[in-house]
This record gives sequence, structure tokens and C-alpha cells, in this order.
Amino acid sequence: MDGRHYFVINGRVDGVRLDSRVLEEQVQGAVERGYKQIKINAYGQHGIGGRLWGAGTDPVYVRIEGHPGQRVGAMGCPNTEIEVMGPASDDTGWLNAGAEIVVHGHAGNGTANAMAQGKVMVGGNIGARGMTMTKENPRFSPPQLWVLGSAGDYFAEFMAGGIAVICGYHPQNPASVLGYRPFVGMVGGKAFFRGPHGGFSDIDAKLVPISDADWQWLEKNLRVFLSRIGRTELTKELTDPAQWQLLTARTPQERAGRPKRSMASFHREVWDAELGAGGLIGDLTDLERSPIAVITTGEMRRFVPVWENKKYLAPCEASCPTGVPVHERWRLIREGRVDEAVDLALSYTPFPATICGYLCPNPCMQACSRQSAFMTPVDITDLGKASIAARLPELPPLSGKRIAVIGGGPAGISVAWQLRQKGFEAVVYDMSETLGGKIASAIPESRIPKEVVDAELSRMREVIPHVHLQQQVTRTDIEQLREDYDFVVVASGARTPRTFPVPGKERAVAALSFLEAAKAGKAKVGRKVVIIGAGNVGCDVAAEAHRLGAEQITLIDIQEPASFGKERKAAEAAGAEFKWPVFTREITKDGVVLADGELLEADTVLLSIGDAPDLSFLPDEVATANGFVAVNELYQSSDPKIFAVGDAVRPGLLTDAVGAGRTAAAAIADILAGKRPEYSPKKMIDKERVKLEYFDPRVVVYEDLNQCGSQCSSCGACRDCGICAAICPQTAISRHEAAPGDWEYVVDPDRCIGCGFCAGACPCGIWDLVENTPMG
Amino acid sequence: MQPNRPITPSTLSVKDLPWQILWEKDKCTLCGRCTAVCPVHTIELGVFRKRIVQADIDPAAPPGNVYKVYHGIRQKTDPAYACIGCAMCSLVCPNDCIIPARSDEADKLRLHIDRGGQPRRRGGRRNAPGGILDQIKFIRISMLTDPALDAGRHEFELRSLLGRILPPEENLKFFSENGWIPPVREIYPLIIGGMSFGALSPTMWEGLQMGVSYLNEELGMPVRISTGEGGCPPRLLRSRFLKYVILQIASGYFGWDEIIHAIPEMKVDPCAVEIKYGQGAKPGDGGLLMWYKVNKLIAAIRGVPPGVSLPSPPTHQTKYSIEESVAKMIQSMYMAWGFRVPVYPKISGTSTALAVLNNLTRNPYAAGLAIDGEDGGTGAAYNVSMNHMGHPIASNIRDAYLNLVAIGMQNEIPLFAGGGVGKNGNLAANAAALIMLGASGVQIGKYIMQAAAGCLGSESDRCNICNIGLCPKGITSQDPRLYRRLDAEQVAERVVDVFLSFDTELKKIVAPLGRSTSLPVGMSDALGIADKDAAERLKIKYVV
Repeated sequence: MDGRHYFVINGRVDGVRLDSRVLEEQVQGAVERGYKQIKINAYGQHGIGGRLWGAGTDPVYVRIEGHPGQRVGAMGCPNTEIEVMGPASDDTGWLNAGAEIVVHGHAGNGTANAMAQGKVMVGGNIGARGMTMTKENPRFSPPQLWVLGSAGDYFAEFMAGGIAVICGYHPQNPASVLGYRPFVGMVGGKAFFRGPHGGFSDIDAKLVPISDADWQWLEKNLRVFLSRIGRTELTKELTDPAQWQLLTARTPQERAGRPKRSMASFHREVWDAELGAGGLIGDLTDLERSPIAVITTGEMRRFVPVWENKKYLAPCEASCPTGVPVHERWRLIREGRVDEAVDLALSYTPFPATICGYLCPNPCMQACSRQSAFMTPVDITDLGKASIAARLPELPPLSGKRIAVIGGGPAGISVAWQLRQKGFEAVVYDMSETLGGKIASAIPESRIPKEVVDAELSRMREVIPHVHLQQQVTRTDIEQLREDYDFVVVASGARTPRTFPVPGKERAVAALSFLEAAKAGKAKVGRKVVIIGAGNVGCDVAAEAHRLGAEQITLIDIQEPASFGKERKAAEAAGAEFKWPVFTREITKDGVVLADGELLEADTVLLSIGDAPDLSFLPDEVATANGFVAVNELYQSSDPKIFAVGDAVRPGLLTDAVGAGRTAAAAIADILAGKRPEYSPKKMIDKERVKLEYFDPRVVVYEDLNQCGSQCSSCGACRDCGICAAICPQTAISRHEAAPGDWEYVVDPDRCIGCGFCAGACPCGIWDLVENTPMG
Repeated sequence: MQPNRPITPSTLSVKDLPWQILWEKDKCTLCGRCTAVCPVHTIELGVFRKRIVQADIDPAAPPGNVYKVYHGIRQKTDPAYACIGCAMCSLVCPNDCIIPARSDEADKLRLHIDRGGQPRRRGGRRNAPGGILDQIKFIRISMLTDPALDAGRHEFELRSLLGRILPPEENLKFFSENGWIPPVREIYPLIIGGMSFGALSPTMWEGLQMGVSYLNEELGMPVRISTGEGGCPPRLLRSRFLKYVILQIASGYFGWDEIIHAIPEMKVDPCAVEIKYGQGAKPGDGGLLMWYKVNKLIAAIRGVPPGVSLPSPPTHQTKYSIEESVAKMIQSMYMAWGFRVPVYPKISGTSTALAVLNNLTRNPYAAGLAIDGEDGGTGAAYNVSMNHMGHPIASNIRDAYLNLVAIGMQNEIPLFAGGGVGKNGNLAANAAALIMLGASGVQIGKYIMQAAAGCLGSESDRCNICNIGLCPKGITSQDPRLYRRLDAEQVAERVVDVFLSFDTELKKIVAPLGRSTSLPVGMSDALGIADKDAAERLKIKYVV
């Protein structure tokens, strides 16, 4: 044998196998008794040779012959040397804490599993899962596993330290000395191997060059290994550095940065290479698809601001039948150009003082944006009254075109006024003694001072010198005028009082006749007056009757009276009583008998249920509807050469008549200029766009024109306040002025992000944010 | 609203809206980004009047008023501009001073979004968080009873089969008699379900496809993606990437002429053909691509003129019985590729699913059945269809699987489950539950939009405006100004991340079960639920 003196323990006594527990007792007992060299004839016992701490630091040598069971040298101590003379079963050196274990034959699965210190040296091959979960404690030398042959599958899983050496001598599988899927989960240690491998966990481990120090260590210890397993004859064969490779665990940093093809590389070199330039749809579109920022400028903005100066009408202008741009007048006031503000009106109306200042119910003020926030509308009447001093615009030379205007009331004068301003000659025919229609003849002086009317009429006469008064125009005349003039405009008004079929109706006096007589100083009334029809004309009648001495005035109507405003107030001030709904049965010498039999006593009965046009002079070609001339929106009748405006077309306010005159004159001018006349009034601005928050809501009375100007929100027309440029977070908005007074605010698309702050802040509602031009 | 206007029945206050914009004046720098980015223009710059009453009781200083204005962010209350809660404003705000907050009570807006008699339409999923899938637990933890596997270390065959798998004796019989065996694909069990080119933006669609190709070619994961109904870009049809693609045909047949023209030029066969009969999000209703999303590009791919709305009929025309529907369509689609490509139908979850399945068991060509449950997402549907129609996927897939078990065909016709898989973020758990209930794989749509592209939609009815082309993330928009916010390459990267992490999670679930290294289809003994009725209905363990 080897010449040592052994304490011998037999694993089988008298044909009976010793229990692992009993064998362990005998081994530990021998060590306690001081035996340092123990030979065990093993018979499948578990864990032989481990845990020999009972010997302290004294070395103990354990020689195992026969057939050891699993876990030879488990929890081995540094003092222990174990030599297995034949093959070993599984888990040899399990949890080895320092023992040196030599196996001369093959070793089974799990060899050196969880080994932390010491060495396991195998003279053959090892099974699966060798060198798994090995450790490396800094306090001790790293554990070593030496295998002469090859490792089985799943070698070195979760290896966390130590050194494995696989010599690859007569390997079980010549194609791979490391088995299948080695080094999965390896985090530490290194492994030398000699011979081919069939791949390893590239995520966890990497091949590295063998340094000189590594080689020196390997060569030196290889000699020790071969000597321990008694195969020194292989030294030369196994010490060729060229045949060895070294594998180490990847560091955590290497794992994180493990090379994986970047998506950019895949995109370029695989995706686009297969599909062609532009990728998936490069053949279908030229549109750029590279990423953009979430906040964009230029053409990539989803929305763009638009400076819509004067694109929309201000509510005042839009609601003025005459179309006076009231806010423009306030702008001129704000700019200190009071005279121009006053004069401006004459471009639109011949009666800026009479109508805007006195007679008009002022739809402009009713529509004023300020009303939408319970704020007092800007008061136009003072500016209207001031217009008495308005200066005439310079008149253009006459073009030679001539238009006949039948009727010298507000509608007719408006047409003539506008036509003359456009360079056409208008000739007015009227059956009255004076021009002005009802303004001059019927509306009481209590409502309009005579000098105001006279002043405006005389100003008008400077513009329209050709006036034929007291001309009763007949059908024959019309046909002649139609031939003699380029156009004929019928503005003959509604002068025939309406009546109704009740007995005694002849006893009633028509309102129009009464008002005309009253104005001429020829009217008389009794003490008690009943007025049938309680509209605004009825109210005028009541006020005049009161002026002429009536004491008890009753206005009756079949419905709630439509009267309003100044007229209504004047009638109420005259003590007039309103009764409705009542129905007239008869008019007697005692008064008005109602349907229910009640008698309303009256010395004078006045009938105020409207006036109708007298159109008997019109040729048959001119179509009518319900007693009025039928016209299109341009006030052109069915005869293209004949226009009709004012009450001859439909009953309305004075401003309606003036506005109709403007529209008709514009249409005539277009036709004469060879253009197709168009009726496309601009739309009114959405009042929500106007920001009234900039104004003091507590202003209820305007002290003067300047205050009116300052409080006008200038809806839809830029007031040049610069708030947009100031609010723009991108300083994208700037003011450009081509000529004095001709400014605009422009957006730099390369700075603008389309936030819409300009639209949100603009007091006048000029800016809008609109969708950018669609792409793709 | 202006103070002197009458209110209308649909005049709402901010309080009545589902989302209130909380804006902090003190922190706001008025940079304009929030109003610039808001997809629905719900916020705008407002001018606010501030009144200071100067009330001095000293008669020498009479009281008065001073008015000032300040500018800030105002929320519109018009239902047409109601906040959708997407929080893009918060995303771009440099000072964190703006955020939409969910109303603390049921909003009134829902009662007024039917202007012109048009009921609400939207994208997203059923507005119902929660669901049975999240309640299912994996209770069979194998430590000692079976060799438990290690999710990080062991190899798993997380692969599924798509195609008709014949039993061996039939396989031999078929082979000898017809010389034909049904084609079967080995695929990854997580499939990106049908979302059309059109419903999705070009960048999103390309990103998904690129990610799938990367998974296949760089990582060896055989992930598949369905085209949805809207055709397929001609270049993809003629590329090798087509083998990762499941071509969908649905009742509108959009883009199929282009596919037919491409067949002779195809380098590879597609993975499969999916015949869409129904969709979980809107059962019984067809696609609804509105005209404003049909630009030149979409039109070219779908083979239609641009600028027209493209509704798909609720059902396939010319098919009047289940036999006809299934047999005729499956035959036709097989013929297109010479019987080399598996063809399977996709239906919405329904109590009639078993009738369809039983029909398929008698059809030797049927390659599988995909069922899309009520929680599925969509780009556009009527709110009522989304919220109130459809069948839960869990019991539907379970019934189908157990029906196959009863007739001994559970390994022959693979079932694919979809509809709300991962809707609460638990993708792998939901997928594993469905697989163990009997699915051979799961389809995801909305989840991948959320995970791979940052879709903001939620079951709390956040965003959900996929249908109007204004997707703030550029996922479902055809407007370059929006879809260029999305980088296809980054979407692809996210797709890869999602699949890799799903793969790990699925392994973490499957490995401890120990049973085997292949996909545990129908392994319902691993499932438990703390709801007795649900346990009984699904035939899984009741555990408390």
C-alpha cells in the first residue's frame, strides 16, 4: 500500500452495511481519539470525510476505497485531505470549506457544488452541474476544481467565485469539454479549459486572454494536480499554452452595456435595407417623418394666428341699417380727429344729425357689444347731433350718367346723395312743396328741432341741385323717365293712410294727415281724443294732440302696443292712456264704440294704423307684392332699370330708408361701372371675441365724446393697442407701418408656437387662431 | 358665457365637466405651451377683470373702485371643447402650474355629448376599471412536488402553435390521402392584435412592425403582429418581414386588392390570415375610419379615394350562415397562398362562441379561433357599444377550451384570447391566466399603445379621442404635425422592452408551477380565485 498506518473503518461489517450515521460516528470518534490517517472501505455512505473539525488544526488524511456515497467531503475542513481511490458519486465537495479532495475516477453530478474553499481534483470526468454556486470569500483562498477530463452539462451555473480547470483529456463528449449551456448565471471566478466548447452563456461570461501570471499559476498548479492524481506523464501534453482558454464572469457593468444591436442600427441596416429608403412607406409618401418637438413653430404648428382686421363688422355697424361704421368714428375721436369723426357720417347718410342724433332708435347702441356684459353702450347721439356741423366731402366730377329719383323723402334723398358722391347726376321729383318727406312734413317738432332739419336739407341741396318739386308723376312720365335716364329709383314712400272697414270710419282723421296739418299749424283737436293704433306714429299723434290742447287722450290697439322709446315716453308724458286688446265696432259722433259695447268718448278720432304706398304710377312690368314694390336684396325691381327703396318697398325706420338708398346707389354704380353688383355684406363679429374686461364696467353716463371714444371696444377693428405683441410669449408679433395710419400686426412663423394668446388677449377680437393648412 | 344670455339645456359649468383644469396663477409664466398643445382647444388665454374697492371711511377720501386686468388660462365649458384629461398641458408646463383633475362626482357632460342627435363615439376601452383576470392567482407553487424551474436560468419553450394540429393518426391519413397537412406556425404566445394602418399613425404602425422584426431577427423571439383591417403597405408585403405578419381580412376588405397584386411577388408567406368577424370593443359593429383620417397615404394603402369615410359593415356581405361564413372564407383564404398559410377566424366574445367553435372543429382547415372579449380597445366605436356590449373573455375562453376537452380536441384547435389583457398593467399575469384557462396565446392592442407609445387613454375615460385624429401622442393621428411626435424607432425599442420583460414575467409565473417547460395551456389546476362564484364558473380553485 502507501506505507502509512491507517485506522481502518469498514462500511460493511458481517455483510451488513453501516448506516451513514454510524460510519460518521466512527470517523468522528477516531479523529477525537487522535487518529490522523483513516482508511474507509466505503459502502455507499453519505458525506464521508467532511466536518473533521474535531482534529483542530492537525492535518487528517482520509483515504476512501470502495464506493463512497454522495457528498464526499461535504463541509470539509481545511485540515482535511481526502483521497477517493475510485469514482465518486454526486456532490463531491459540497459546501467545501477548505478540504482537499482527490477523486481518482470520475465524479458524478454536482461536483464541488457550493464549494467555498479548498480543492476538488478529479482524475476523470464530472457529471452535470459541477462547480455550481461556488463562492469566494475574501478571507480565504479561492476554491479550486480540477478535472482531468470534461465537465457535464450546466457546468458552473451561478458560479460566484473560485477557479475551475477542465483539462479536456479524453473528454466524455469530444465536441464540448464544458457540456451544454455552461456558466449560466456566473457572476464571479474563472475557468481554464482545454479543448472545444459548445457555447456558453454569453450574457454572463466572456473569454479573456490568458495573462502571463495566469499561465504561470496554471502551469505550476497543473503539475501539482497531475501529481495528486498520479498522472505526471501527461504534464508535457497538457502544458501547451496554445491549447488553453480562459473564461471569466462578466462584471455587472459589462452586463448592462452588453452589446445588442441598437434599434437605430437595425432601422438603418436591416429594416430600411430590406424595405428600401424611407422604410415601410417610403414608396408611398415624400412627407418627412422624423420626430418633431411637441411644441412646434413654422409649418409644423397645428394652429396659426390670423390678424383679421376689419374682416368682420362691428355690431354697431352691422346693425345700423344705414351701415355707419360707428366704431370708426370713435377711433377718429380717440385719435383726436374730431372733425373727421363728424364728417365721416356724411359718406353714409345725408341726415347724420336728424336721424342719428334725434329720430333714430339707434340700433347701433342696442347692438353694442358692451350690452352683452350689462355695460352702457357707447352713446352715439351726441356725435350725431354734432354732425350738424359736418362738412361735405369733395364731390367728384359728374360722369354724365343720370338717374331719376321719384320721391324726395329720406330714401330718395339718400339714393341721390350717394349717387352724387359717386359722380352720377341724380334728379329728384317730388309732389310736395318741400323736400324731406315725412321728416319735414309729419314728424313733430317736439322730436326734431326745425333748424336741424333745415340745416341738413340745405346742406343736401348743395349736393343735389336738380330737384323738381310739386311734380305729380304719372305712369306716362315714368316710362319717359325710364327712357331719358339711365335708371329710375322709386322712393315715393307710403302716403296713403290705411283704413279699416268699420261703420263711421269716415269720421276718423288719418294720422299722417293730422301730423302734416299739425306741423303746418293747421290742425285742430277736441278735448277728448281717441287714437286707434298705438304704435310710435300713434304716440307722435298723441303728443301733438296734447300740444294742440287735447286733455284726455286714449290710444287703443288690438294687441300690446309696439311703440317704444322716445315716442312712447312722449305720449306717456302727455297723459295718454293705452288700452289693449280692444276691438273697434263703430265710430260714432260720440266716439269709438268697442266690440264689447263700451263707448270711448271722443271729440276727435284719429286713425294710426299705418300708411300704404300709392304705386298706381308704376308700369305693369314692375311687380308688386302685398301693395309694395317687389325688389331683390339690391332693391332692384323686376324691371332692371327701376329700383325702389324706402317705404315703397317695406315699412321701416328712417335709417332703413337711408340704408336702402345706399345699397341701391351702390348697385347702380356697380352696374354703371360694368360690374356685376354684389350683395355680400360682411358678417358681424362674434361678440365673444371682444374682451370687455379691459373696460370699466361702472361707467353708466358718458361725460363727453372723448370718454365715448375711450370706452368703445372697437369690435373687429384694430385699435393699435399693442397688447397682442406684448402678450405673445414668443415675441413673434410685431407692428409694421407701411404709411402713417396704415399699420398691421404680423406674425413671425418661425417664432410663433400657435398658442393663441394674441386671440385671447386682443380687446377688439381681431386675432383668430385657425387650423394650419392640412398636410399629407 | 356672457351674463345676459339665456342658458340652454346644455349650458354647462366647469363643475359639470368630467375634468377640471387646475391652474395656478402665481406659478404661471404665461408661456403659451399649454394652449398650444391642448388637442381639443379646451384651454385658452383669458382676460380677467380684477376689482379693488377703495373703501376708506375718511370722508375726505371718498370710496372708489380700481379695475385691473390679469391674463390667465381659462377652461371652456362648451361640450364641444370639453377637457379630455389628457394632461398634455401638464406635460409641457415648465412650472407645473396646470393639471386636469377628475371631477369628484359623475359629470353632466355625458348627458350632453349627443349634439345633432349623434351619440358619443370615442376610442379606448370599456370605461370599467378592474376585471376578473386580475383576481386570478397562481396557486400551484411547486418547490418539492415537481422540479421547479428557475425563470432566469432554465430554458423555456414559451412558444405556441398557430394552425390546425392533427392527431397523429389523422396526420398520417391526411398525408397519405391528400398529400397535404395543415400548415402550423410556432409563434410567441403574445401577439400584437389587429390595429389597422389608418387607425394607427404611420409612425406607430412602422414602430410596431420594426419592433416585431427586431424581436424575431435579433432576439429569436417569433413574435407575430396582425395588420388589422386596412391593408398592408406594399413594401412590407414584398419583404421577408411578412412572415412575422398576420394579414387580417374583415368585412370592408380594405387593401386586399393590393395584397392580391403582391402575392406573386412575395418573398415569404405571411404567418397567417385572420378573418375578422367581430371585435370585443364593439361587437356587431364594423370599423369606423372617418374621412379626416383618410389622407392620401391611407387611401393608397386601402385602395380607396382620399377624403372619404370608410365604415366597414358590421358583418361580411354575401355570407348568410355560419357554415357559409366560415367554410367559404377559410377556403378562399387558404387558396390564395396555395394552402400554405393557416387561416383562422376572430370573433368578439359572445355567448354563441361555442357554436362557432363547434363549427370549426368540423372544418379540417380551421387553424384556430381568436376571441376578443368585452374589454378590448378600439380606435373608434359608439360609446354604448364599448361600454355595454360584449362578453367577458375569461369565461368565454374557458368554455371554449373545456368544450374542446370534452370532444378531445384541445390540442388541435388553438384558441387565442384578447380583450383587456393587461388593462391594469398586469400583462403577464393576465396572459398566464388566460393561457391556463385554455388559450394558446393572447392578443394585445391597447396595451401596446400604452406601453410602447405612451397612449394616455384610460378606463377613467381619459383622452380616448383616437377616433377624431387628434391623438396628442401621435399614435392614432394621420396628421404629420401630430404623428411626428412619435418616433417609430423609439416605439420599436419599447416593443422590444415590453416583450422582453413580459417574457421574464411569464417565466416567473410559469417556472414555479414546475409542471413542464412548455406553455401550460389549460393548466387550470394552477389557478385560484377568492370569488366562489367565479371559481365555480371558471372551474378553477376557490381559495381564500
